[in-house]
Amino acid sequence: MTAPNYATIKIDATKCTTPFDCKLCLQGCPQSVFQVRAIKVERGRETNPKEPGVYLLVAPFRDKCTGCNLCIELCPVDALTISFPATKTA
Amino acid sequence: MCWVCDAYGDPEFGDGKWYLNPKNHSRQMYKIKKPGQQDAAYGSDPEAQSGRTIREIMNLRFEDPVKFQQLIKEANDMREKGPFQIGQVIPIQEAFKAVEMSYPVTSMSCICRIHSRAREERNDHEYSCTGLGVGMFKWERWPERYKGGVNFMTPDEAKEWLTKWNKKGMVHILMTFGGSYVGGICNCDYPDCGMIRNRVDYGITTGCLKSHSVAQMDYDLCNGCGICVQRCQFGAIKFEVTMEKTNIDQMKCFGCGLCETACPRKAIELIDRTTLPGLKEVW
Repeated sequence: MTAPNYATIKIDATKCTTPFDCKLCLQGCPQSVFQVRAIKVERGRETNPKEPGVYLLVAPFRDKCTGCNLCIELCPVDALTISFPATKTA
Repeated sequence: MCWVCDAYGDPEFGDGKWYLNPKNHSRQMYKIKKPGQQDAAYGSDPEAQSGRTIREIMNLRFEDPVKFQQLIKEANDMREKGPFQIGQVIPIQEAFKAVEMSYPVTSMSCICRIHSRAREERNDHEYSCTGLGVGMFKWERWPERYKGGVNFMTPDEAKEWLTKWNKKGMVHILMTFGGSYVGGICNCDYPDCGMIRNRVDYGITTGCLKSHSVAQMDYDLCNGCGICVQRCQFGAIKFEVTMEKTNIDQMKCFGCGLCETACPRKAIELIDRTTLPGLKEVW
């Protein structure tokens, strides 16, 4: 059984600091690959979405990624890179 | 009757349907964390347990596809071991009945769309989720902790509200929070809703069971307008070209009734799933 041909999506968290406020890739992805998670929670309370580093962008559904690269075009800070495993012949 | 009804239904109420059993709407069913109380240990809280299990499964699919399939099967069988978070698709007529039984009924922000689409819902025009039961007072009491706010509705307002989302094309999924306690009616669609995605893409059934009904097409009445095809979130309806009519795959049908409410010629009706021998065990 060969390994599935899943995309690897690298998200540079130092460039992508306010994903909840920007949300361009989140709302633009046709496959809804991305999710945003609160990483800084104070006493059960999420902090201001405009504050850098409070939310983290992740790509939990990267197995659904088609490689259309729409998110890369949308990203205003060039934080995303998508790579696929090298093509194998059957 | 589905296995949830076997476990939590009462034949005296609502033909034995679990979500029409008043016990499952009772405020005594709701767990309130007392001050100073520790978080429930792993496995003791069905909601936390199912959430963690599903997260573990989802992480595995990149590393170990074989074990991934094995764990999905285990999660789907977990219902036999005890309470688990359950979600079941219900047609809007059944949602009306559930709304009438519950108090209070509220509209609130959707937790899935916050994560998947960063959609902030901050007032009753934007809210897309329905909260049921005594747990909703938390949102009113501690707005800084339970974000997004809450809008209390009368049963009639709630029906109007559910109809609004039904018209827009949302599937109603009844959710439990802790055992069989009925905690909300989500208005879901694919792919931004987590429960439908887990079921349709990965085959995790407990979060999104099929409803007690299934859609049936009357070919004599159908004129092939195709409105129902756009409404189906589960890919169960297609346009059959040579017949010039639409065709419902009842094996794929979740019985949400979206096609039924949209059909201008009333060609689709919802029938009881258990009357069809082949679908009796398809949940």
